[in-house]
Amino acid sequence: MTANQSTAPPQAGRIVVDDLTKVFGGKIRAVDRLSFTVEPGSVTGFLGPNGAGKTTTLRMLLGLVHPTSGTATIGGVAYHAIPNPLSVVGAGLESSGFHPARTGRNHLLIQCRVAGFPDRRADEVLALVGLADSAKRKVRGYSLGMRQRLALATALLGDPRVLILDEPANGLDPDGIRWQRGFFRHLASEGRTVLVSSHQLNEVQELADRVVILNRGQLVRAGSIAELSAGSDAVQVRTPTLAPLLAALAEQGARVEQTAPDQLRVHAMPVEQVGHLAFVRGVELHELSVIRFNLEELFFALTQDAAGPLGPGEPPLPVAAIPRDMSTRLSPAEGITS
Amino acid sequence: MIGLIRSEFLKLRSTQVWFWMLMAAIAITALLVVGQLAPRDNVTEPSQAYDVFTSSGMAYIVVFVLGVLGVTTEYRYQTITSTVLATPSRWKLITAKMITYALVGAAYALVCVIVEAAMALPWLAAKGIHVSLGSNHIPRGLFAVFLVVALFGIVGLGVGALLRNQIVAVSVGVIFLLVLQNILIAIPGVKHVYPFSPGGAVNAIITISTQDKTINGVTLLSAAGGVIVLLCWAFIPAALGAAFTLNRDIT
Repeated sequence: MTANQSTAPPQAGRIVVDDLTKVFGGKIRAVDRLSFTVEPGSVTGFLGPNGAGKTTTLRMLLGLVHPTSGTATIGGVAYHAIPNPLSVVGAGLESSGFHPARTGRNHLLIQCRVAGFPDRRADEVLALVGLADSAKRKVRGYSLGMRQRLALATALLGDPRVLILDEPANGLDPDGIRWQRGFFRHLASEGRTVLVSSHQLNEVQELADRVVILNRGQLVRAGSIAELSAGSDAVQVRTPTLAPLLAALAEQGARVEQTAPDQLRVHAMPVEQVGHLAFVRGVELHELSVIRFNLEELFFALTQDAAGPLGPGEPPLPVAAIPRDMSTRLSPAEGITS
Repeated sequence: MIGLIRSEFLKLRSTQVWFWMLMAAIAITALLVVGQLAPRDNVTEPSQAYDVFTSSGMAYIVVFVLGVLGVTTEYRYQTITSTVLATPSRWKLITAKMITYALVGAAYALVCVIVEAAMALPWLAAKGIHVSLGSNHIPRGLFAVFLVVALFGIVGLGVGALLRNQIVAVSVGVIFLLVLQNILIAIPGVKHVYPFSPGGAVNAIITISTQDKTINGVTLLSAAGGVIVLLCWAFIPAALGAAFTLNRDIT
């Protein structure tokens, strides 16, 4: 029952997507020659705008959608070839896949019967996700957050080595999200593979070790957060006398962009050096701050062409519903200045 | 496979549909018994009791709907996703469902037969007609009822698997079985296919040799022929469903 990682061969929990393509209805290329690998022992964020092909990819990985070409394997085999798949792979795909007139516990027991898990396993996972008190209520009365918890409980039923979850944080309250983050990290630390698709980029940045970013069915970037963020920290400076500082920075070879009449952003120079330079040149500073790598910014830069209604001059937002005047709130400097 | 069948039983038990469908089956049986016994001069001698004791055969329509729901509810509420994740083989899945719904059909038939016997035996006795469950071909009739009702669970699954849409599958199936099929027999030329329809097969299985085997000039198949036709109606749609429609992308 336990996913015994120490004795498992290293590829046991590895997800390999190789040249995967899905064309719906002969014309819609939902996934286009996609290749990536997800390693055990880490949390991997699977990102992309709406319609990027994330869900289709996950469904192909789970054998629910047939690829047009290419392969997707878990531990070296296709999902349908895994004996008793629930004990190896836990999947949470949508919060609506429950019969409304069935209790949460019965939903889990149905899965237990198929896979041969004892009934107490259903009670264990219900307690684990915090649904023990609602176990015998009909799913009809569950909130979205409770359905998400039930979906996660379903995925955990077989104590699987690999977890594949589509938007598991949707509908969860902040407490639930924080709990889930800790829980996923814990599962990864046990050597399990955790693949989580998400729109909540700040959440992913805190949660994931690695990200796979998809746009229009194609891979745009895959790598660890550390790799992606390397060298991307910048220094923000605000000063009433811009010219002398600009000159000094240019002398030192820093890459500088002016972001406001009294504001600069300095790349490829440590914050200490920028501060020292201002000090020795006698430039008055109103702000000196580090702008950390921001996944959101990278994401927008990589998926810009899919942003849709917004003009090219504005920062592309993934959610069209955000009013334009709020776009400044998405600035990477948010929360770091002050 | 045992686990899969137990899981299918729990799926059925864990919502209330099975109960209301059973009530419907009992109501249909009871109405048919009343319809035959209430008119003073309808059943007057023991040899006419056979039809009364096969009233429960009409429960096939209810078990058919139950079978349709057995597949289409999974699509309606998208539980098909977790079902297929647990059992990727559609053949295994449909086999487990077929066994489950045939057993459920037999259980429904048993309840309906008990209801029918509990109503008809005292009522016939009160009319001064003395029959026992062991006489007048009644055991053969009851066997036919069990066979027909159990097989219709599978027929329903097959239709549900092919059509997948709950409302479409239930309406198409019920309208065909209750209305179109009976129109079939009235159309010259076309009426000769009636013996090969599910209803024609049911009639062939339930009708005994001492009864009239022709309807509107069309001769029904033998009971064995009826069984073969009904087996085809049960297994061919289910197999086609497993091979094609159930295998489609689940998005």
